[in-house]
Amino acid sequence: MEKSIETIWKEGFLRSDALIAPKVIDLYNKKSTHIVDKFTRMFKINLIGIVAFSIFIVPISYLVKIPYLGIGMFIIMNILVMINYKLLKGLKKIDKNVNSYQYLTSFDKWMKEQITINTKIARVMYPWIFISMVAGFWFGPFGGEAPGERLVTELLIQFPDMVVVFGFPLYGLIGGFIIILLLAYFAGRIYRFDLNLVYGRVLKKLEEIITDIESLKATD
Amino acid sequence: MSSDFYTSSILPYAGIIIKICRAYTNTQEDFEDYYQEVSFQIWKSKDNFKAQSEWSTWVYRLSLNVCMTLLKKKKNNPQHFASDYLPEELTEDSKAFADESLTQLYDAIRQLSELDRGVILLYLEEKSYQEIADIIGTSANNIGVRIKRIKERLKKILDGKVN
Repeated sequence: MEKSIETIWKEGFLRSDALIAPKVIDLYNKKSTHIVDKFTRMFKINLIGIVAFSIFIVPISYLVKIPYLGIGMFIIMNILVMINYKLLKGLKKIDKNVNSYQYLTSFDKWMKEQITINTKIARVMYPWIFISMVAGFWFGPFGGEAPGERLVTELLIQFPDMVVVFGFPLYGLIGGFIIILLLAYFAGRIYRFDLNLVYGRVLKKLEEIITDIESLKATD
Repeated sequence: MSSDFYTSSILPYAGIIIKICRAYTNTQEDFEDYYQEVSFQIWKSKDNFKAQSEWSTWVYRLSLNVCMTLLKKKKNNPQHFASDYLPEELTEDSKAFADESLTQLYDAIRQLSELDRGVILLYLEEKSYQEIADIIGTSANNIGVRIKRIKERLKKILDGKVN
């Protein structure tokens, strides 16, 4: 061997055109499939998590003597899961035999649709959760004395002029109603915050690839 | 591709990625697959880059890991790679460089173990022993000894003393 390996390496690459990067034609397909697969996986895990939590909360709420909260949460969470499971089936129907751009825009369309539907659900779900919590603490365990009624009795002793409507203090009812309205009003924002917390990175990447492909198409 | 992540963060390091991918592949088809997979994995893992090291160091490490993993997969599942069925003269053509000595050096490097290929590539790219150690995950002393051994083996292969 006449030359050292260091010299062969340096001179070889100086002379050759071996450092031309190959075209990465399949990269967008890989990225697109990866994004959608990752989202689908996370979406499924999320649904399983919600079901597990809804099942777990029922006996726990019974044990800590607020069963109405557990039942309320169980109902709303399973409705949420059923609707989203149906949406997931729609995601699986997206045609994979199209180019990356079409595939991603179909996915993006599906995503926007599911965000719209879930925002509507959130307008009911957050107030429902609040009502379940209040009901849980107000009515207490099955068959026992309702802590809420006990509270109203004690309040009436201290404030005999307090207005009571259907067994609830009027101010309490007004306060609760305002909270429900606020939750329904801000549900969309709360849901989007929640969505970004869970899927933020994936959604950012999706947006990034679509922008990339669009700018690529524009330069063609 | 346009002014996306590939252009700004991968293409400037395409040279080293190409050199690494070439050392782990025998055919042009495999080389392009490996290059694409490395580019994809860099993009996929970019959020995991914690800036504890240089971006280039991270790219080297990831490229080596991806190539080594793909090579292991290929060894375990040779049917997976269609290029294995290509006629010998085709595969020989595609792995050749314009420079004959470089082609021979690459052929010699391909005879090394997966890890040794990575070490010598980084050495030839003039990385310090410490940098190589950081990328490979060992000590600088170990790298020094290893490089000496690899160079001796490469010399023997190039001199035709080892098949």
